[in-house]
Amino acid sequence: MDKNLRELSDEELILEFQKNNLEAAFEILVQRYKNPLTNFVFRFLGDYESCNDVVQETMIKVYRYKDTYSSVAKFSTWIYTIAGNLAKTEYRRQRRRNIFTISDYGEDNKPYDLPDESYRPDVATDSGIKDEIIQKALMKVKETYREAVILRDSQGMSYEEIAEILGVNEGTVKSRINRGRAQLQELLKGFSYR
Amino acid sequence: MENDEKKYEKVINTLKNLKEVKAPENFEADLRRRINSEKFSKKERKGFWQNIFVPARLIPSLGLIAAAAVIFFVMDANSEKMDNPFLIEPRVREDLIAVTDYEQLKEEHQKALKKSESLKREKNIPEPKPEQDESKSFRDEKTSGRKEQNRLDNLSTEQDMAKDKGKSEGNIALPESAFAGISDSIQTNVSAEESSDIIADERVTKDELNFRQIQLSPKEQKVVNELKTQVQSLGKNNKTQK
Repeated sequence: MDKNLRELSDEELILEFQKNNLEAAFEILVQRYKNPLTNFVFRFLGDYESCNDVVQETMIKVYRYKDTYSSVAKFSTWIYTIAGNLAKTEYRRQRRRNIFTISDYGEDNKPYDLPDESYRPDVATDSGIKDEIIQKALMKVKETYREAVILRDSQGMSYEEIAEILGVNEGTVKSRINRGRAQLQELLKGFSYR
Repeated sequence: MENDEKKYEKVINTLKNLKEVKAPENFEADLRRRINSEKFSKKERKGFWQNIFVPARLIPSLGLIAAAAVIFFVMDANSEKMDNPFLIEPRVREDLIAVTDYEQLKEEHQKALKKSESLKREKNIPEPKPEQDESKSFRDEKTSGRKEQNRLDNLSTEQDMAKDKGKSEGNIALPESAFAGISDSIQTNVSAEESSDIIADERVTKDELNFRQIQLSPKEQKVVNELKTQVQSLGKNNKTQK
């Protein structure tokens, strides 16, 4: 039974979950999407703990509102839309919180400030440090551009899928991606790419 | 599009090669626990409007409204541009002219009466005979007194009527003709017989009528006389026919 379910597509699994309330189908969907969603949300938020909460919340929403899914759309589009909306809400909440608690941060604890020496190639040698630098630079990209860039370059989605997730047309998606990339390139000026 | 991809090739590759972030190992267990906890504790979540109208949340907004109201009134009281509506004098309509000096009118009327009496004396209007019995003289006195009383009453009713008329027309002014007619009628050349009749009888006399005497030109007088003769001849004809 479980083996057969694993062979089903995402859309078929959610249909099984909708019609027969088969929780095994839901569990398979969770297994399939937990890592991609975690990656997407983490790149957007830059914080692992809140990213984990957001992904869990996304799964709970899928569980609770399974009947609202329509087979017209792709399941991946639907679940990414939910995750994206929750991530944006969380990001705005964090930003508000940072505004109110800005005095709590010391000079060294500024969350998104990049020290100048980090850009130096001799300093940024370790891959872990490089990832951190890129993530910090990504967090400086405008919210709407960042989401589009992550979906395209990190998640490898098509423009059509991204347009559906973001609820805008493909032209807008391309424009946002280009602007996001341009901002990122500007931020990573002097950074030694691998 | 390909140009853009080439332009940002390094950035794209960097993002693609980023280390994949994975969900924690206990992700599914945590999720199951959360789903179960939600299943058993299905709390009814309050709606947006219900949340808004929680009394504690209303306090800041109500405070803000109260402060705004106070500021508004303070600013308004200090502003010189605005006049206090309670201190502005009521506007007077130019089309309304109030005439309330009835006492003056009454005095004029009294004067006119005196004048008419003096006229009567000049024309030797016969006084009531002294040999008449006391009861008759008493009755005459009574009737003349009543007559005076009636005249005054008539004057007051005419004043009231004129007043009402003026009010109904949206104008409080009394028409001058209302009283001018009376005074003019008194000034007319009343014959001795007529004046004695007026005193003796209680019927409606010329004095009580509200009309104006006009000075006619000789031509007009001629026309009037012709008309009179025509009317008289008509009257005679009617009598003969009967």
